[in-house]
Amino acid sequence: MPARVAIDEVRLNEVTQDDSCNKGGTLDIAIARKTFAGSQGSLTALSDISLTIDAGEFVCIVGGSGCGKTTLLRIVAGLETEYEGSIHLDGHQIFGPDLNRGVVFQEHRLLPWLTVHENVAFGLSRLSSAERAAKAEHYLDLVGLRSFEREYPHQLSGGMSQRVAIARALAGCPEVLLLDEPFASLDALTRIRMQEELLRIWQAERTTVVLVTHDIEEAVYLANRVVVMSPLPGTIRNIWPIDLPRPRERTDHEFSRIRRAVLDEFFAHTLNKS
Amino acid sequence: MSTAEQNHRLPREATAQGLDLCTQTKKSSVEIPDRFLGWIIPIGILLAWELLARLEVLPPNWFPAPTAIAKTIYEMAVNGDLWKHVGITMARVVLGFLVGASLGTLLGAVTGYFPIARKLLDPLLQSLRSVPSIAWVPLFLLWLGIQESSKIALISLGAFFPVYLNLSVAMRHVDSKLLEVGKLYRLSSFEMVRRLILPAVLPEYIVGLRSGLGLAWMFVVAAELLGASSGIGYLMVDGQMTGRAAIILGSVLLFAVCGKATDWVMSATGAKLLGHRTR
Repeated sequence: MPARVAIDEVRLNEVTQDDSCNKGGTLDIAIARKTFAGSQGSLTALSDISLTIDAGEFVCIVGGSGCGKTTLLRIVAGLETEYEGSIHLDGHQIFGPDLNRGVVFQEHRLLPWLTVHENVAFGLSRLSSAERAAKAEHYLDLVGLRSFEREYPHQLSGGMSQRVAIARALAGCPEVLLLDEPFASLDALTRIRMQEELLRIWQAERTTVVLVTHDIEEAVYLANRVVVMSPLPGTIRNIWPIDLPRPRERTDHEFSRIRRAVLDEFFAHTLNKS
Repeated sequence: MSTAEQNHRLPREATAQGLDLCTQTKKSSVEIPDRFLGWIIPIGILLAWELLARLEVLPPNWFPAPTAIAKTIYEMAVNGDLWKHVGITMARVVLGFLVGASLGTLLGAVTGYFPIARKLLDPLLQSLRSVPSIAWVPLFLLWLGIQESSKIALISLGAFFPVYLNLSVAMRHVDSKLLEVGKLYRLSSFEMVRRLILPAVLPEYIVGLRSGLGLAWMFVVAAELLGASSGIGYLMVDGQMTGRAAIILGSVLLFAVCGKATDWVMSATGAKLLGHRTR
């Protein structure tokens, strides 16, 4: 394990030398209402969402299924454009997808006909091929998969695929990294390793990170602030600042206390509703 | 490579070895590789056939011995007839296939990409597909005459439908999750087709091309049987008229070999295009 730490330090040094990317951006989310048309009339997915996420902050959004947390992330990504309200990134309103927001989905969504390297470089067609290759190599180094750049997605494990997806999202130099339950389909051990990896990447890149999850422990472990959402209609129930120093210890008393508090609130609310 | 990656890879290698061990213990005492098993019965039939024909148990003008068929083909190859007929049939198939597959690609792509085009065109094309294609022959002969164009038209018709159907359906069913990736990177419609949709439908498209080619061979037989003065189908009719079963059987063999050869070229090209990908 000490060897591993040393490797990470080398990578961090490499990363800090790369200043071509923008640092994190400030997100202003103001959604009055988002509805989906259904067969039985329209369904209100989100209502009265107001949230400001500071530059370089790591925010986790937790909630049960149907609380609209994925919809919220898709609106910020620019994939959902029909809603009442507005999203601003560094003061500029968002009208659709752009490279300034990188997205990682629950499934890796790598293109099966491209190699790992080509997948990471997929969105960089505006760069020259030399710059493109350099960027892809840089981010593959960052996620520790440089030696797999010629492999195809089906040759990778779930955790590795998701790391390539993170590299692809970062390659566009986003100010905000949006992750939608990125580790939900991974086994418990891989998930913990990926959480460490994500923290390391966040600390190296200084991007703003918004991660949606239903795993409260994951949220408390990773985030500066945990946003708890409740369903019907999806709205923000509470925002918990997590002031624990990093690296955090999952078995730590204070950690457990916060996790329990969030959990209690979560369940109290769910039970009241049902 | 970190230790983490090595750990990821280990289980797969381990299972591969495990499987190997299983197959080794399963092997029976008679060691015939599977790929040879399929040859035993055909070779047996050929030998029995040859023997029965030589003993004149089978009437030689109805059931000529395999060696007699081989000799007939060899003689045609020597006097040049074989190359003429094979050449003209091959040319018809290739030309008809190119015309049919091109139209199928065009209409398949248009109906696959634009829902409005599909609603306008697909019902018509589907109903035309349910007409047995040989039923068009009298009309083609009337319109295009007995010459090459009616044959090419018939072969094109055969090649058209599988290509059209496979491409149209595949384009409609491209994983919307992958298309969303294109949206995130703000690809234009053209880029979307070139970088996402085409590579995504390539496997199905190649399947369509292969079945189109198979049908092109089927229809060239029909076209040549119905009236031709050259081609492998003509050889068959000629063999039937003059009562030479060796020529008919030889022609069947030629169709089989040529059909297989073009399919092999097609599938090899397809495999090259698909590269290392597996789904």
